[in-house]
Amino acid sequence: MSGRTVSRLSRILAMVPYVIAHGGASVPDLCERFGYTRKELLDDLQIVFLCGLPGYGPGDLIDADVYDDEVYIDTADYFAAAPRLSPSEGLALLAAGLAVIDSGQAGPELASAVEKLTRTLLPDEDSAILDVDLAGEPELVGQLRQAAVSGDVLQITYTSMSRDQTTVRQIEPQIVFTSMGNWYVQAYCRLAGGLRQFRVDRIRSIEPTDGRFVPPTNASLPEVRYTPLADDIRCRIVLRAPARWVSEYYAVDIVEDNGSDLVIDFATSDPNVAARLLLRLGPHAELISGPEVAESLSSLRQRVLALYGA
Amino acid sequence: MKNVLERLINLLAMLLTARRPVTADEIRRTIPGYSPDSDEAFHRMFERDKELLRSIGIPLETAYTDAFEVEHGYRIDPARYTLTDPGLTDDERAALHLAAQMVRLGGEPAAPEAVHKLGGARLTGASEPMAADLGDSSDLGDLFLAVSERRTVRFGYRGRPRVVHPFGLGHRRGHWYLVGATADGERMFRVDRMERVEVDQRSGAFSRPTSFNIGSALRDLPWETGSDGTVDAEVRFGPEVAWWAARQLGGRVKAPGDDGALVATIPVANNEAFIGWVLSFGDGAEVLGPPALRQAIVDRVRGTR
Repeated sequence: MSGRTVSRLSRILAMVPYVIAHGGASVPDLCERFGYTRKELLDDLQIVFLCGLPGYGPGDLIDADVYDDEVYIDTADYFAAAPRLSPSEGLALLAAGLAVIDSGQAGPELASAVEKLTRTLLPDEDSAILDVDLAGEPELVGQLRQAAVSGDVLQITYTSMSRDQTTVRQIEPQIVFTSMGNWYVQAYCRLAGGLRQFRVDRIRSIEPTDGRFVPPTNASLPEVRYTPLADDIRCRIVLRAPARWVSEYYAVDIVEDNGSDLVIDFATSDPNVAARLLLRLGPHAELISGPEVAESLSSLRQRVLALYGA
Repeated sequence: MKNVLERLINLLAMLLTARRPVTADEIRRTIPGYSPDSDEAFHRMFERDKELLRSIGIPLETAYTDAFEVEHGYRIDPARYTLTDPGLTDDERAALHLAAQMVRLGGEPAAPEAVHKLGGARLTGASEPMAADLGDSSDLGDLFLAVSERRTVRFGYRGRPRVVHPFGLGHRRGHWYLVGATADGERMFRVDRMERVEVDQRSGAFSRPTSFNIGSALRDLPWETGSDGTVDAEVRFGPEVAWWAARQLGGRVKAPGDDGALVATIPVANNEAFIGWVLSFGDGAEVLGPPALRQAIVDRVRGTR
């Protein structure tokens, strides 16, 4: 018994009150609203007709009728209101609303929906107790989303996180998404000749172009990935407890984990990227192997000390 | 499945309209479909049904049927069962439905059932090229309940048991955080690091500080939260990294100067986090003052292994 029973029961318990509250509803309206096919709806109504109160005689059963494509349900006052949202459902709806509002891509309807829902779920509160901040770039996210809808090729100036190079490329945005606290755009890159993911916060600027493309009809949420290149430099680093977050933030291979220290392999095409990371982590990380990175780190340290006249 | 649904709907109708707690035995005798022959089969069925109803948030309660507390029965309080209708318009429901499809919590978009309870929504049918993944934690629903009903939460964190009066729940940079009062004052906990989360039964167990705001409790920048006493640091970002620093500092800074460099004044309450962040720019950023922070950078760089 299972997920299917659960979702079928939930849908019945939501659909019946809707019909009662509106003094009847049409089959097409119910199908649209509750995601029913006609057959599914009629099957569910068939079940409802057979239910009611103990006794289960004609006067006890739920009085329901489908006539001329209109559904009527009566004598079921106990199902006149839908069940309340479970905590997980309430959180999921509010968090989704807040997330889309925070992305800067919401209309006024969503803002008022979230406000009404907040007032209902958290009634006597003058406090703000739920918050979602996606650290987005509303303007860039909006431009990329728009281009993915309309099929406009964009030209971006992009500084790669792992390669430390700035390039100018034309992209066909497919989907803008956020994952692990960063915004990404997945796009067909005309420079690379393939599908790529770009971190939105590393896009320095976006220019429109005259190019057009056919937007994909069904873009789903992709996994974030970093594909190491054959000529990437690899180094091995020990992360002490305060630096363990690195393994969640970057795509790394975990070599060993004893619960406090974590040994990782870090791949990058630019040793400076790893050197800056090590400088930042200070005593919380140690480079075990990777001569290019060691050299980079040593030279970076000299340059920083020179900057401070030390 | 048809029989199961019938049985569940009849059970709900019976418990919603009963004026007193109904015993398992009465349920078994009354509702068609509960196997009357075998005790074991009935109990298995009934346990499953109770669990299923509770899993969709139906407040199925047990209560004694007599003053001597000999026998217990079941009831559903209609007031607790019923949705408080937020009164959404069709457009508002559609916007919420679309948002719920774009956002994943625990790997999945919000279940359509939630929107159905609010009256359902028509889909626009257009494909939406935007999505957000708010991470994964099976404890979030329970924590939201604890926060909204002001219930005490108990959990393990970094090997220690904690008892917290949860004030608020927030999402920052890919992670959920719980902020609440502990014996040691207000603390922040990362939800995915909590272990064995338990929520007390009693609601209204504490009062939230008036005008508590989770947004300000969770500062955006890690060095703004700390116990070092806030000082203003002045930092120069070179032209190559100025745009990237400005991005991270958001609206807190002026535009870069003519040479493309950026000088920003940044309030710092956590030196360790601040030093790490400045050094992530390599030699692209220089702390101009105060002298103690400059020295701390030099010390850190000299000590780097």
